[in-house]
Amino acid sequence: MSDLMPNLPNQTPNYYTPETNSEASFHPERPIKYKPVNESVKVYVWELPVRIFHWVNMLAIILLMITGVYIGKPFASASIPEEAYYSNLMGWMRYIHFFAAFLFTVNLLFRLYWVFKGNKFSTSNPLRWVFWKEVFQTIKFYLFLKNKKPHYIGHNPLAQLSYWIFIGLGSWIVMLTGFYMYTEPQHASFWGKLFSWVPYIFGGDSYTIRSWHHLAAWGFMLFTLIHVYMAFRDDYLERNGSISSMLTGYKVEPKKLVGGKDEK
Amino acid sequence: MKRQKTVYEAAIDHGFTRRDFLKMCTALAATLGLEYTQSDKVVKAMETNTRVPVIWMQFQDCTGCSESFIRSSQPKTESVLLDMISLEYSEVLSAPSGFQVESSMEQVYKDYKGEYIIAVEGSIPDDDSFLSVGGKSAKDTFIKMAEGAKAIIAYGSCSSWGGVAAAYPNPTGAKPITAHVKNTPVILVPGCPPIAEVMTGVIAYIITFGKFPELDHLGRPTSFYRHRIHDKCNRRAYFDAGLFVENFDDEGAKQGYCLYKVGCKGPTTYNSCAEMRWNGGVSYPIQSGNPCIGCSEKGFWDNGPFFERRAKIPGTQTTINPDEVGLAALGLTAAGIAVHAAGTVVKKKKDDKRGEEE
Ligand code: HEM
Ligand code: SF4
Repeated sequence: MSDLMPNLPNQTPNYYTPETNSEASFHPERPIKYKPVNESVKVYVWELPVRIFHWVNMLAIILLMITGVYIGKPFASASIPEEAYYSNLMGWMRYIHFFAAFLFTVNLLFRLYWVFKGNKFSTSNPLRWVFWKEVFQTIKFYLFLKNKKPHYIGHNPLAQLSYWIFIGLGSWIVMLTGFYMYTEPQHASFWGKLFSWVPYIFGGDSYTIRSWHHLAAWGFMLFTLIHVYMAFRDDYLERNGSISSMLTGYKVEPKKLVGGKDEK
Repeated sequence: MKRQKTVYEAAIDHGFTRRDFLKMCTALAATLGLEYTQSDKVVKAMETNTRVPVIWMQFQDCTGCSESFIRSSQPKTESVLLDMISLEYSEVLSAPSGFQVESSMEQVYKDYKGEYIIAVEGSIPDDDSFLSVGGKSAKDTFIKMAEGAKAIIAYGSCSSWGGVAAAYPNPTGAKPITAHVKNTPVILVPGCPPIAEVMTGVIAYIITFGKFPELDHLGRPTSFYRHRIHDKCNRRAYFDAGLFVENFDDEGAKQGYCLYKVGCKGPTTYNSCAEMRWNGGVSYPIQSGNPCIGCSEKGFWDNGPFFERRAKIPGTQTTINPDEVGLAALGLTAAGIAVHAAGTVVKKKKDDKRGEEE
């Protein structure tokens, strides 16, 4: 529990300027928690539930990717030929896929709850003009162009946007189409009825729904690759412990970012 | 309005005994998915209901639906045609032709307005020059007849979804008949062609109960279209085991393995082939070694090659091999990342140097 809500100084700085950037002016009622370390502070960024979500999500997605690709294109066959009786290879793949899918779903629903419960780094609001201005600056930053991208403790707006697209939208596409396929053998059951509306958004027939699922799955794989690269890159450039922060929760940041006085 | 004979009277006239008649009703009840105890309902209906006038219209089709229909084993096509319905117009089965048969369609429209049923085979083109029957625009004839009908049965994938004629780029502007129906109820019986017993079963249900059977969200009778082929397939055990035909001439094909990898569309196809089978229950495509092509599904004609597993890009008629495209995208992204990473290192080195010099 101590890890969940660490007892850190969090007095709201009196000279805090809401104009600084989209992060500083975001949810001022959810103050940033940090620990001073010489010139820098150790900021508590990723709360324990967020970290647990992150790694459970990773595990689920890896399982889903491997088993999902197998389901789509069975790249291995059962080792005992002729009789179906002795093997259950596809059966197991589907079983693991569905197990991971439930894990993925429960995990994501929990994370949605934490958006309301957690600190300011656990949520995002793209409906602010400054958000999009900073997305633009961040894009310039990634293209090595001259930019006015401020430094962020949490995710930069472009990263937040990518989470909206892949975790926000992508997850719902795979979940809805996935659960629809899952209930296809029993449309008349309770669970079948629960997802009976899915074809109306994804376009009628079963083949199209399956196609959505398969394409969105590849979207996840692309995202994973870029996401991992970005995390390592950030760690390399900022030396702020981006990678380890997803384990410990803390990032080392200059004091002025959390509103503290710069001693220099 | 003229009075038609009841189904019972017609059957007796055709040399049925009462016993034959009862047998027919019991078998019919089974086909309709009713409990045994409900077969007396069917008997009662057949004794009192009069034969229903039916107009069988053909548009952009191949007559395959008619071919299938005339091979029904249960209920027998003869008993449907001779006892239950009174087929007033059919390009394939009507004895008269030319003006004579066209005028009998007119006659039905006048005599049985609001009573008759239309069975439709084939899609309707937007452009009249592609299809006129008896010198008249087929679309206009259909719209007029549809207004006066009690109900419409869309037999086959062309009348239900547009069918092969609607395949990209759809030169005739083929549309399913539902595009031209306003207030008349329509039941869809898709398939290329539909199973004979499903075709006769649907019509028998309508005649027995005077209403449509339960329909699903696409307007198909649930009793025949509620399951995927994949869920009832005789090769399903091989699917779960992970034993797949890789080639049509390999050992797996001889052993009867699952046809998933040679493009089987069973997992996305709703039809009763795996349960009712064809030709009086003899076999069906998958049983005889051919992957399901998904012929009863909307858009099956544009869902890519029949013998390959693909994914459709939603909103288009283009299919891709998702794993090939996905891997290529992954490779491109990895290459992009390598370049970007190199750029990042170079830039950081430069910036660090400048920082030291300052
Ligand atoms: C809640 C989430 C998910 C659910 C409920 C779900 C469910 C399903 C179901 C039911 C199938 C069809 C299996 C069959 O017919 O035998 C399937 C296939 C598949 N799933 Fe998922 N899935 C989910 C998430 C994911 C994710 C996150 C990925 C990948 C990153 C993924 C990748 C795939 C792939 C590639 C297929 C094969 C599609 C095809 O055959 O064309 N799924 N999934
Ligand atoms: S043959 Fe087709 S329908 Fe049958 S189990 Fe294999 S994939 Fe499914």
